[in-house]
Amino acid sequence: MAEINYTAVVAKDLEDLIPVFISNRTKEVDLLRTAAGAGDYEQLSQIGHRMKGVGNSYGFAPISDFGKLIEDNAKKSDKAAIDGVIGAYVEYLSRVRIVYE
Amino acid sequence: MSEEQSFRVLVVDDDPDMAAFLALLLKKEGMRTDIVQDGDSALVRVMSDPPDLILLDVMLPGITGFEICQRLKSEEATALIPIVLITGLEDQQSRIRGIESGADDFLSKPVKREELVARVKTLRRLHETRKELESRRLAAEVERKEAIRKTFSRYISPRLADRIIGDTGQSSDIFAKAQRSQVVAMFADLRGFTSLTERTEVGRVVEMLNEYFSILSEAAYRYEATIFNMAGDALLVGFNVPFPQDKPAERAYHCAREMLTRFAPIAAQWEAEQGIGTGVGIGICMGEAVIGNVGSPHYMSYTIIGNPVNSAARLMQLAQPYEVLVCDEVYKCLRDIVPAAQIEARGDVTLRGRTDPIKVYNVKVPLPEATAARA
Repeated sequence: MAEINYTAVVAKDLEDLIPVFISNRTKEVDLLRTAAGAGDYEQLSQIGHRMKGVGNSYGFAPISDFGKLIEDNAKKSDKAAIDGVIGAYVEYLSRVRIVYE
Repeated sequence: MSEEQSFRVLVVDDDPDMAAFLALLLKKEGMRTDIVQDGDSALVRVMSDPPDLILLDVMLPGITGFEICQRLKSEEATALIPIVLITGLEDQQSRIRGIESGADDFLSKPVKREELVARVKTLRRLHETRKELESRRLAAEVERKEAIRKTFSRYISPRLADRIIGDTGQSSDIFAKAQRSQVVAMFADLRGFTSLTERTEVGRVVEMLNEYFSILSEAAYRYEATIFNMAGDALLVGFNVPFPQDKPAERAYHCAREMLTRFAPIAAQWEAEQGIGTGVGIGICMGEAVIGNVGSPHYMSYTIIGNPVNSAARLMQLAQPYEVLVCDEVYKCLRDIVPAAQIEARGDVTLRGRTDPIKVYNVKVPLPEATAARA
């Protein structure tokens, strides 16, 4: 299967904030995995809700999409679906290329 | 700090990335920003250092954005600070709850920068217009109070004027409607004034009168009397008007005492200068009187009318220089605070214009020896 390359177009004036933003996403993945392992759907729902708000604001629309999926699946307590979304999120973070405009 | 940067926005969001994003956009618009990440910190910050606008996330740990909004809008000190609720909740129910909690505007996450800037700028304009109107209203209020103070200060002490100005309740009627109440009326008169005017240059007479009335009115103000009339060399003041006062007869006595003791050295100076002896005679009486504006549309005077005023005037006429003559009712109020040796009963006296005699007392005021000898 061909690798998908993601591009995030970020406003130039946000450039200084991006290193911390990306670092926080990595921590977020750890929190998601921990919460999923513990079956803590309340925590998963809150993290998903937060991702939904912040992703698109910075120009990372897929992060908002992943957040919405995690929040929706947490409400259904669907662990398998959540694990799948976390995996996709991890892959996105490892492949995303940031372009400042 | 520029005028732009003087506009301060408090960003309340538990997501540090979202808070940093919002703060950056506002800084680019020349606004100062502070960030707090939970509801309790937000309330403490707003109370201690009120911002000009609050961007408030709804989903916060602890107190929610709705609750914070409701609390701030219910406090007089913070009710006018514009609040923009930022929420990912797009359903109508959340918006309704936001409106009910008093939010001024809403932003949905993800936040669109153009929308954020436009909304904040609009609220800023509204806030600044409101502040400008408020400052104009306050300036007009200060001007109005100052005008009232100037008008009142001719009659009453500055403290009493402040009380009337500060009281938005019954005080507004005090000068508009006549009232009947228990008062203590006090007349003071300058003895030897006629001789003084005959022998002294007119400019100097006016200076002396001003000096005399300054002493009397300062004493009256110190004891929160209301000055009703100043005519020739006589002064009429009232106690227990327009507001009830604690121990008005005692106030009147202390006031009379201060008038006499402060005038004594001035009289000595005048005597040395002009060779004419002067003194002050005082009459005090208490009872029911009518207080109000009396006159015609062309000229009105805030005055006091009734038996205690007439009796005080007659007692003043009977009083020798440095004597304080009082009626029986005033005596009964003073006998516990003035040593018996200082009170001299003058017996029953029928005052001019009255059919029944009244008991009269001379309440002696301790004076400097030289003054006492002249009196």
